[in-house]
Amino acid sequence: MKTILQANKISKTYGKKGTAKYTAINNLSFEMKEGEFIGIMGPSGSGKTTLLNMVATLDPLTDGEITIDGISVSSMNEDQLSDFRSQNLGFIFQDFNLLENMTVFENIALPLSLQNKKLDKIQSSVHQVASLLGIGDITEKYPAELSGGQKQRTAIARALIHEPTLLLADEPTGALDSQNAATLLDTLVDLNEERKVSILMVTHDPRSASYCSRLLFIKDGKLDRELFPSGTRDEFHQEILAVLGDLDRIPLAGVRS
Amino acid sequence: MILKLALNGLKKKQRDYAILFTGLIISIAVFYMFLTLSLNKEFILQNSVINNIQLVFLVGTVMLSVITFFYLFYTNSFLLSLRKKEYGLYELIGAKKLQIRRVFQIETMAITGISLIIGLILGIILSRVVSWVLMNQLNIGFIQFKVVYLPAVFWTVIYYLVTSFITSSIHNLWLAKISIIELLRSEIQNDLLPEKPKNAALMIFLGLFLLAIGYVALYFMETLRFIGLFTAPIATTLGTYVLFVALLPIIVRKWKRNKKVNFKGINSFTSGQLNFRLSSLKWVLATIALLIALSAGAIAGGFAFKNDAFTSIDEHWQYDATLYNPGAAEMAVLDSIPVEEQLTYRMKLDDEFIYLVLDELNAAPPLIRDMVTYEVVRPDPLPEELEIEGGSQIVSDQWFTALYAINPALGGTKSTRIVPLEEYELAEGEEISIVLARTADFSAHIEEWQKLDELQMDIYPDLVTGFDPETDSVATKYAQFKTQYAIASGTFFMGFFLGLAFLTMMASILMFKILSGANNDIRRYDSLRKLGVRRRVLENSLSRELFIVFLFPGILGLLHVFVGMRMFTFIMDEPYYRLWVSILIFLAIYGGYYFFTIHLYRKIVLPKQ
Ligand SMILES: Nc1ncnc2c1ncn2[C@@H]1O[C@H](COP(=O)(O)OP(=O)(O)OP(=O)(O)O)[C@@H](O)[C@H]1O
Ligand SMILES: [Mg+2]
Repeated sequence: MKTILQANKISKTYGKKGTAKYTAINNLSFEMKEGEFIGIMGPSGSGKTTLLNMVATLDPLTDGEITIDGISVSSMNEDQLSDFRSQNLGFIFQDFNLLENMTVFENIALPLSLQNKKLDKIQSSVHQVASLLGIGDITEKYPAELSGGQKQRTAIARALIHEPTLLLADEPTGALDSQNAATLLDTLVDLNEERKVSILMVTHDPRSASYCSRLLFIKDGKLDRELFPSGTRDEFHQEILAVLGDLDRIPLAGVRS
Repeated sequence: MILKLALNGLKKKQRDYAILFTGLIISIAVFYMFLTLSLNKEFILQNSVINNIQLVFLVGTVMLSVITFFYLFYTNSFLLSLRKKEYGLYELIGAKKLQIRRVFQIETMAITGISLIIGLILGIILSRVVSWVLMNQLNIGFIQFKVVYLPAVFWTVIYYLVTSFITSSIHNLWLAKISIIELLRSEIQNDLLPEKPKNAALMIFLGLFLLAIGYVALYFMETLRFIGLFTAPIATTLGTYVLFVALLPIIVRKWKRNKKVNFKGINSFTSGQLNFRLSSLKWVLATIALLIALSAGAIAGGFAFKNDAFTSIDEHWQYDATLYNPGAAEMAVLDSIPVEEQLTYRMKLDDEFIYLVLDELNAAPPLIRDMVTYEVVRPDPLPEELEIEGGSQIVSDQWFTALYAINPALGGTKSTRIVPLEEYELAEGEEISIVLARTADFSAHIEEWQKLDELQMDIYPDLVTGFDPETDSVATKYAQFKTQYAIASGTFFMGFFLGLAFLTMMASILMFKILSGANNDIRRYDSLRKLGVRRRVLENSLSRELFIVFLFPGILGLLHVFVGMRMFTFIMDEPYYRLWVSILIFLAIYGGYYFFTIHLYRKIVLPKQ
């Protein structure tokens, strides 16, 4: 298996010169193989979102190096990063981040439009992804007319349409009820297993985490432990709950320096 | 307590307030300047030329106050919309409706008060500058002119305070009726889905029809008179609103239907933005189009007036100088400029008649403008014998005009007798010589004409009974030009500043409307950035979007001006003369606002990292 993501001793320190510094991610390293479905867990404020944003090239690193699909992202300028994101990454956010002034169809098509793909190709791709996600009949609606689950599926369709190397998700189930969350995670698992989409997902929810093929636990900006599923999903769920209970006993938050 | 909270809330929205109130401040400054120029009492008494200008500025004041009233009403409703949610929160934590209403009124009055202070200071500076420029242009001293004129200050303060009291009271009544839930919800309602236009074809047709009526009324204003004066503004205004409301959503819809274009690059986002923006701004944009028409019209009107002072003076006076008994000084001045034609006539005055020599007139008939054909001609020779009827000689219409051109100062005072040379020699009375001179370009030698008029001032008291050099002016082309030019310069400034005031008001409305939507856009632009859209692409999308928003009212507003300028044919000869200059001035200012809006917008939605 190819390595698609490599984080090498990365650190993130917030705060400008003169103000109090705060290290949200501290000398953290991990690797991700193609086709993995990795979950990132940890207490609130432990640095999960920060880590994801660094991988997403949205937040510059203070130290260390990130390589995605063999390309080091630390050395790129703003425009190169933009292009990199639009071609290699797909995003799903907790609050969907759909563009309300565009129809579902336009939202999904956006990544392809940005790459100036032919109209035929765009239309067939959108139809394909939309029907894959079960939103084929609402493509002419605006986001304001959709339910939470439909919005999230639209967001996934948009994140997938350009066949990114890596799909990044920050608490994608956070705004969904358990029914919709389960459907969403089933979809992600399907995508991961059948289409070999690599997924990196931040989540608070142990139920959601149990769908992953590997879990990273972050504490105080450091990798605390890893967890692999061994038995059924329910057993994995129990295991996760145990680990979280363990983590919670220790005070959270990062390191002041 | 509530007042303190409100003050904090006010501070948070500083930018929106600043934008809204630049329009108000400029309006106050211009209002004050107009009033000072038209009310300065001692100044009026001192100067006859100024007398005419003052009326012009008074008209300007009236026009400005009407538009300002609507502007204040509009901005006051914006003010309320900015604060609705906050007021709802106050009510939620137990403030009484009455308290909130009082807070709103105090806020409005306070803002007006602050604007008044700044506006008046600006107005004083403006009066200083404008009076100075006018003084130089007209070559007259503004001796008794007071820049800080208390009656003008008084009326400005009264007008603005009363108007904002009225407008805020009206909104206050509305505030009293509205429920707390509606107040709290008001901010969420920003992004309504653009509705499908109903009966769009019919509406567009109606809009065009109304516009056509308005334009016809504008175009034939001269014949329609009062009917036109009422029909034109009403039909044009209605037409503009109907057309914008029906047409704008349709245009974007059509646009989006072109999938090839829509799904290219960021176009789908840009047109999506426009779709929402145009349908939520259609009413505002129609208003903007009308304000643009008014402001560009005011600027162009003032400009045309100023030019008209030159063209119309040439219509009525074929000869640039008419000199009575010119001495060596006068002739020296004439010699210093390229005179194309110079005519000399003799004239004798007795108690009853003015005598002119028939042969001299026939030998050198002066150029005149025929009152019927409007062409410049020389009258046909006079017959040897002229009939006398009711005590005056009967001459052709052309000669009637010619006699006035030859003898403008005395022509009307006594009956004229055109007689053969022998008879003229026998006549009693002192002989006066009259010299007419014509150059190719009257406006090129203004200084010389002025000098000649000054020299003639010494001669007129002996010539015209009761002539007082202190108050009366000589009967020359230049003297008439001077009066006309003073009025025209006054009108020019009035038009320009009126236009400027309208333009700032319109820009502040438009910028406010656009920028208050910007906060909703922050998230959108951030999402796009995350999705990997380059900053430049986002900047371009934003510029294009706002360009369209500025474009539509600009086009229709200017179209109104192009048609509307014709209305002025009944007071001037060439209302379209160099219209492009005024249009350019307008476009420069309007363009400035466009770029400024883009700049502010970028700062909000695309902050530098
Ligand atoms: N822009 C910033 N400036 C300063 N500190 C920040 C910034 N963003 C995050 N932090 C800090 O870094 C730490 C990690 O934040 P992060 O958002 O990564 O946490 P998280 O693990 O995603 O938490 P949650 O589970 O609540 O979402 C927090 O203590 C936060 O206060
Ligand atoms: Mg987070």
